[in-house]
Amino acid sequence: MFSQVLGTEFLKLRRSKMTWLSLAALSLGPAGIALFMWIVREPHRAARLGLVGTKANLSGLTATWPAYSSTLTLIVGVGGMLLLSFIIAYVFGREYADGTAKNLLALPVGRHWFVLAKLVVAASWWVALVVAVLAEALVIGLALALPGFSTGLILGGVHDALLAAGIAYLLVPVVAWITTLGRGYLPPLGFALAMLALGNVFAKTGWAQWFPWSIVPLSIGMVGKPVQTLPASSYVVVALTFLTGIVATALQLRYADNTQ
Amino acid sequence: MGADSAIATQGVSKRYGDMLAVDALDLDVHRGEIYAFLGRNGAGKTTTIRMLLGLIRPSGGHVEVLGRRVRPGVSDVFIHVGYLVETATAYPNLTVRENLDIQRRLTGAPRAAVTEAIDLMRLDAHADRRAGTLSLGLKQRLALARALLHRPELLILDEPANGLDPAGIVEIRELLQSLTTEHGVTVFMSSHILAEVAHLADRIGIVDAGHLIEELDREELHARERGHVRVGASEPQRAAVLLAAAGFAHVEPADGHLRVFDTQDRVPEIARILVGAGIELTELAPAREDLESYFLRLTSGVK
Repeated sequence: MFSQVLGTEFLKLRRSKMTWLSLAALSLGPAGIALFMWIVREPHRAARLGLVGTKANLSGLTATWPAYSSTLTLIVGVGGMLLLSFIIAYVFGREYADGTAKNLLALPVGRHWFVLAKLVVAASWWVALVVAVLAEALVIGLALALPGFSTGLILGGVHDALLAAGIAYLLVPVVAWITTLGRGYLPPLGFALAMLALGNVFAKTGWAQWFPWSIVPLSIGMVGKPVQTLPASSYVVVALTFLTGIVATALQLRYADNTQ
Repeated sequence: MGADSAIATQGVSKRYGDMLAVDALDLDVHRGEIYAFLGRNGAGKTTTIRMLLGLIRPSGGHVEVLGRRVRPGVSDVFIHVGYLVETATAYPNLTVRENLDIQRRLTGAPRAAVTEAIDLMRLDAHADRRAGTLSLGLKQRLALARALLHRPELLILDEPANGLDPAGIVEIRELLQSLTTEHGVTVFMSSHILAEVAHLADRIGIVDAGHLIEELDREELHARERGHVRVGASEPQRAAVLLAAAGFAHVEPADGHLRVFDTQDRVPEIARILVGAGIELTELAPAREDLESYFLRLTSGVK
């Protein structure tokens, strides 16, 4: 039965503008960083073109592959947390926004299959986005001919970006639960923004490794003390968050009244 | 609750905070019949339908559909159930055919079922249009096609004629009749189009404020449609007072007229009383209530 449900969930994405919008949104990341790098490297030409050369110079960035790679990881990790929440809000929330949830819930299909299928769709979508954006970043970086290129650096950057993207994904079942609880797009988006802000707050209190939404910023060295590897406790917290989100969403669909 | 019950509820209630939406409802819908569920807005019809489908949990009592107890997460009985709840909805970015294909995959119906459902609901010309571009009536047809696609034994339809034009309403009436007579399908439907219900239903349940206040079959409906005398008078208020004083117990105003119940054999007496009091009569005719009037009288508390 799961394969049938999964097939229908992929079918629902056909002609969906959201897939292209999400790709466009994430693609802006490497393009923006590349522009920034170019401005830093060639401030006079940038200034002649009316670009923000002075501001870019003040940022302290260097136009190198290591800087490019770490900024990209930040975009994929933290930007991805937000974008993934949009994707999850769309995949789950559209059933309420379009009024189709009621059409699904009295079918000869266990409701938990919908939860799992939607999470698989979101995962596939996210993997495709991350791969596309990393490929885009590589091409742009090579075109810019930034100094400091090495295969090891690229592999390390890809590893960091995938780790951040993976951890970001493990947090989204909770967003799915908020979507089914709030039955629409706005509650999960509000929740995601609030968690992003709280993640920064917790990181500054030294609890970054314990608070799920601090762990992505922690892993990419955005907050707190930079860590080489995440502590095992953080992986446990993320895994528990993932499982809790799935169970909560499945229980919500199974037991909560559907009055929409 | 018998073996021939398609739907059986025992003491089903639903409470939202202080509000009792459905109160100890007992229903017994027989296999192969068309059962119409009538009630005003907020009477509890849709809440009941949602409980039948397991979309909401009863606060008390229990529901059986096709002999299986409906519980949260128990889904296998719904392979035999087609339904439409409230507004017709579909994925707007998908075509009619794709929307139906989703239903086909989830109910395990054969591929040909999509085309059959499209033909049945006369959606051929719109099969490759996106659902988001359909009119209300076409969306309703799509929703009905979705409900019928897997050839269910039981149809639970909330306002199936909603948004359909008169020809479409007749078409749906004929379709539901043929499904019951030729295929033994049971239909449980709510409707606001009472004339349609009167033509179609084998039995009617009238719900008001969460209570099932009347349940009757077609013959009982005709028998209970109360005879009355329709009186057009120049001074309707004074006429009502005079008739009440003369012992006519059930006099009520309606559309600028009076209706005097259970008195069809006393027309001459009514004429004598009113004309004798100097009231001009513009109409004086025996009449029978239709289902709409009966329904309104029953649900407004007028006896």
